[in-house]
Amino acid sequence: MNTGPAIAVKGLTKDFRIGMRGLKLRAVDNVSLEIPRGQVFGLLGPNGCGKSTTLKIILGLVSPTAGEVSILGFPFATTSARSRTGFLPEAPYFHKFLTGRELVAYCARLSGVKPESVNQAVEDALALTAMTEAGDRTIGTYSKGMLQRIGLAQAIVHDPELVILDEPTAGVDPVGSAAIGQMIKAMKAKGKTIVLCSHLLGQVEQVCDRIAIMDRGKLVLEGRVDDVLTRRDQTIISVENLTPEARRAAEEVLAQHGARVTSFTHPRRSLDDLFRELVTGSRDA
Amino acid sequence: MPDFMKASLTRISWMTRLTFLEAIRQRFFAFLILLSAALVLSSVSLRFLDFGHGELKFVCDFGFGGMFLFGSVLAVVMSAQLFFAEMDNRTALTLLAKPVSRTEFLVGKFIGVWLVLGVFIFTLSTLLGIILWARCQELTVAAVEVGKAPPEFSITGLFSYTGMQWARLGVVAAMILMVASLARTFLFTVIVGSMLVVAGQLQWLAQETLLKPGDLNFFSKLLLSVSTYIIPNLQQFNIGDALTLDHGSVADGAVTLALFSGGCYIVVFLFIGSLIFRQREI
Repeated sequence: MNTGPAIAVKGLTKDFRIGMRGLKLRAVDNVSLEIPRGQVFGLLGPNGCGKSTTLKIILGLVSPTAGEVSILGFPFATTSARSRTGFLPEAPYFHKFLTGRELVAYCARLSGVKPESVNQAVEDALALTAMTEAGDRTIGTYSKGMLQRIGLAQAIVHDPELVILDEPTAGVDPVGSAAIGQMIKAMKAKGKTIVLCSHLLGQVEQVCDRIAIMDRGKLVLEGRVDDVLTRRDQTIISVENLTPEARRAAEEVLAQHGARVTSFTHPRRSLDDLFRELVTGSRDA
Repeated sequence: MPDFMKASLTRISWMTRLTFLEAIRQRFFAFLILLSAALVLSSVSLRFLDFGHGELKFVCDFGFGGMFLFGSVLAVVMSAQLFFAEMDNRTALTLLAKPVSRTEFLVGKFIGVWLVLGVFIFTLSTLLGIILWARCQELTVAAVEVGKAPPEFSITGLFSYTGMQWARLGVVAAMILMVASLARTFLFTVIVGSMLVVAGQLQWLAQETLLKPGDLNFFSKLLLSVSTYIIPNLQQFNIGDALTLDHGSVADGAVTLALFSGGCYIVVFLFIGSLIFRQREI
């Protein structure tokens, strides 16, 4: 069994020619990274930074100007690589006349699932994405959240080793986003490698093991989430019932040991958490 | 059959199914088939305009004209529309991220469109066949009463012609998909494709001109020679009158030759189209 990285990218560069004079626009600039197997990897960056182009190159939809890419040990853009990969594009659009169940079955057959296994694979994918009940409705009647979930179902129906999700929570309410976060965790628990492109940084922080940040086509940071976010030179102590006297005494003791208190604040919960606590009954299943 | 080939055929068949389902639902298809059917039916009531030709020939010409014209429009517009719908709606992104090759995508699209064109052409042909058969019965009785020879009508010839028209529309659809794989817009594809169809209908003129020695300079000869190979001769498929009403006048092997040539052009156009489409960035 191949134990190398799920995705290995080396010196990836992509230039687009624009206008009549063929001016070059560098969308991806000498990017190199390795995404280990079995992890959730967040690919972040502002709009137009080259994330989607990088993903499209990895999937063989766009050809690179320079560089090498391999997926699960196979050269990219080959049938072997793509049959082991699932992809949810940004703002997915599917044929509206199909039902969700028909779409997922159709994608299963295109991805090489054997005829006798298709029904079970479809039901498993619909169950994981909480789309079993809505599976017989035509896609034209789906809400944005349901489109994302059926998109996720079609991406995972053939049980791929690698799942690439481009903005899976775009246009989805916080409850739906949290549900997609749970689905990502469930896929990780099954040993899948997941590449996640998202602007929901809070969610990325919660679900990803590693992140990479791109800006203007270049990779500006890559590492484990804990390593890149933790400030080792500062410590937060949470205390209950802190009186002014106790605070002064604590500051004096800390000062005696060379430490300086920079702030005393009350912890806050995130708006995202508060919203999800309050809103539970409006799921669009 | 090797596994990889079986898998490839499975993917093509699923692409075909999706394309067919999408195409058959289109209002444009319904509109054209209804319009063409109305034209074929109206030929019976307009037969007094036969300009001195036989009545069956007039009905035939009217029906064949409808099948030819609207079939060509349908082949050009639908092939381009179904291709660009996948690109513009970004459904191609989802499909081509799966283990579906660009060639399989294009071939699946072609077969799907061709099947819809088959539904169109065989529906109209059946309608025309019923009208011709019914009128032929009436005209035969009338001819026998006055001691004239009964009119000739071959239902086999009609369906041979229908098969040839289907092949012609297949050549047109493959040609349009080749142009679409290179083009950036639907409009460009339709305009260039339509021009190629007109050139194909007139290609026999180039062939005839080449047969007249001495009238042409070197460059004209070269241009005409190249065009006779690159552009298919679509006129060779239009022998409906002869097949249906005067079967004996069709040269031996004409149908086979036309079908073989059509098949070759379809394969070549799809091959070139898939080579171009492989380079396209989705």
